[in-house]
Amino acid sequence: MRRNSGWKILLIIAIVGASIWQIHPLEKKIRRGLDLQGGIHVVLEVEKPKSTDKSISDVTDRALEIIRNRVDGLGVSEPIIQKEGTNHIIVDLPGISDPQRAIEIIGKTALLEFRLVRNEATLSESALVGYELLSTWSKDERGVSRESSPLLVKKTPEMTGSSLVDAYVAYDSSGFPEVNIVLNKEGAEIFSQVTSENIGKRLAIVLDGVIKSAPSIRSRIPDGRAQITGQFTMDEARELALVLRAGALPAKAEIIYQEVVGPTLGREYIQKVLRASIYGAIVVVVFMMIYYLAFGMLANIALAINILILLAVTSVIKGVMTLPGIAGIVLTCGLAVDANILIFERIREELRAGKSPLAAVEAGYHRAWSAIIDSNITTGISGIILFLLGEGSIKGFGLTLTIGMVANLFTAVFVTKAIVDFILSSRKIEHLRI
Amino acid sequence: MELIKKTNFDFLGKRKWAYLFSLTVILAGIITFAIRGKSNFGVDFVGGDMLRIGTKAPSSVVHVRQAVSRLNLSEIVVQEVGSTHDQFIIKSPPNTAMKIAALLTEEFGPDFVEVKGRSEVSPSMSVSLRNRALMAFFIGLFGMLIYITIRFEFHFATCATLAIFHDLLFVVGVMVMLGYVIDTQIIAALLTIAGVSINDTIVIFDRIRESMRKTRSSNYIELFNQAINETLSRTILTGITTIIMVLLLFFLGGESLRGFSLALCIGFVVGTYSSIFVATSLLVDWQRKGSYKLRL
Repeated sequence: MRRNSGWKILLIIAIVGASIWQIHPLEKKIRRGLDLQGGIHVVLEVEKPKSTDKSISDVTDRALEIIRNRVDGLGVSEPIIQKEGTNHIIVDLPGISDPQRAIEIIGKTALLEFRLVRNEATLSESALVGYELLSTWSKDERGVSRESSPLLVKKTPEMTGSSLVDAYVAYDSSGFPEVNIVLNKEGAEIFSQVTSENIGKRLAIVLDGVIKSAPSIRSRIPDGRAQITGQFTMDEARELALVLRAGALPAKAEIIYQEVVGPTLGREYIQKVLRASIYGAIVVVVFMMIYYLAFGMLANIALAINILILLAVTSVIKGVMTLPGIAGIVLTCGLAVDANILIFERIREELRAGKSPLAAVEAGYHRAWSAIIDSNITTGISGIILFLLGEGSIKGFGLTLTIGMVANLFTAVFVTKAIVDFILSSRKIEHLRI
Repeated sequence: MELIKKTNFDFLGKRKWAYLFSLTVILAGIITFAIRGKSNFGVDFVGGDMLRIGTKAPSSVVHVRQAVSRLNLSEIVVQEVGSTHDQFIIKSPPNTAMKIAALLTEEFGPDFVEVKGRSEVSPSMSVSLRNRALMAFFIGLFGMLIYITIRFEFHFATCATLAIFHDLLFVVGVMVMLGYVIDTQIIAALLTIAGVSINDTIVIFDRIRESMRKTRSSNYIELFNQAINETLSRTILTGITTIIMVLLLFFLGGESLRGFSLALCIGFVVGTYSSIFVATSLLVDWQRKGSYKLRL
């Protein structure tokens, strides 16, 4: 059987190249899970306040916005804050140094305040009494929250979020987005007084001690309906409205699951697991080479490509590497080696039965194929289901397993076969040593 | 190199002994499990608090328990992890972990004890975690059952699934008898074991399928034994390579991973054993009992 299989070799080289490019440098391209780098994992359950007719899902969205605001204030790199189901919020904060404080901050009830800003340029010591410096946070072009331009605001708020009924985005007469707020009766009275006494001053909107916006008071607002205008982009306006709505209805969020992993435990895992895996890989690679000679080398190449693809895909879909994920990799490697052993043992069997080298290789691949595909698909099925239905670590395991199975089918059969064909087609083989 | 030449062992002739062995271990496991009750599980599945601490120098369970006894909490469980006597798990009722951590630092001094990890799981969350894990597991098994039924037939599928059950019960039983706690780490190991187990079983079933289609013989015992022997070299070689990997993980992976790698070690051996002595053996006995003609 002589056929040109050069394109297959090129495809394999291309895939290997792309994978290496994708995962280089490894520690930057694949995020480690909390179990491997330390940090906190918190699940909160949001309780629906009795006073509202909003759906629980809507209340959770608001609570999530509040938590995001607080986490931004913690300055953690790569936090994960997501809603799960209708009333759960998951917060993952990797590599945090003071977990207890973080958990306290996340768990407390939201506080939205309207506080007057003092804008005199020079200040004496005594004038500072009753005021404090609060920061504003803004996202830079890379989406990272940074502290900027602190303002001096009054310690006692003029009004809190409980006076607020609604906040939404509208457009002003010249077509720019603005945020409209609606106050309740009590709030409207306070607001009317505050605005009339402080025209020209700025009123800061403070959520949990962070200034979200500080518009100037232009005129007295008597009816409890105000517009906040400025050079907002649509996103900024939307975010401000969301913050206001969230602060208007502070939902109680209770921590129902928290896991704190110290940094030493994660480091220990990584170092030792890495060392064990490297030694394990060396032993298996040497074993395969001694046992199957050139074919063993082939299996090792397939195994290496398999791991490369697995890591590359994990990196592309922004997967997280956890301990169960590593278990998934171990299983994938085991199955990858197994697929090749199945094929090679079958080739030996065919050789013993008196087939010529080329025919034995063809028959070996052909006959081992059904066992490989059935076992991989079966494992893949459970992988997909564990990924779809599982939670946390089980989900991670399922994901690795599913990617691994696909990589496995590709490398064990396509890659090794292509290389064998390429080599066998380029010379005449009288005798096959395997 | 070729370690395993053509063999002709009568594996299935020994299946009664295998049944006896399996049943004994599983029964012992179930009894231990029943006696230990709730303490079999990590807090993920029963709720409550869990502290994981490390000490600078070797200490003991008694020592640690003494240190926390001042809190007068009835349900504190102190367990040692691994064999270096410096890693402990303390399980306690909800909202007590912080107090315990503070007390330990006070008793031993902050330089001596280090809190390596802490989990606090509310009872409602643990129920939801447990249910979701079980649901994912059973639906996963069901998916396998359907696929194997399509590719082989129903009896094969059922026996393969039973073999997985056997392996998991076996491993959980042994782990519990050795004093380990069923936590997320062990769950990850169990899932891996299920994957290896089904893989082994399918390789043998695949060979049975092939030779049944070829010979049309209905001497199933001979046919199945032959299939097991024909795949034996692969079974042993794959076994060797996977066991090497897991043994290295066991010896070099550190104390914190010992439960995980131990479960994998036991599971991989049992998974290989069960593909012959549970999956294939049950298939033979089932066929004989009902004298079905297996159609593939």
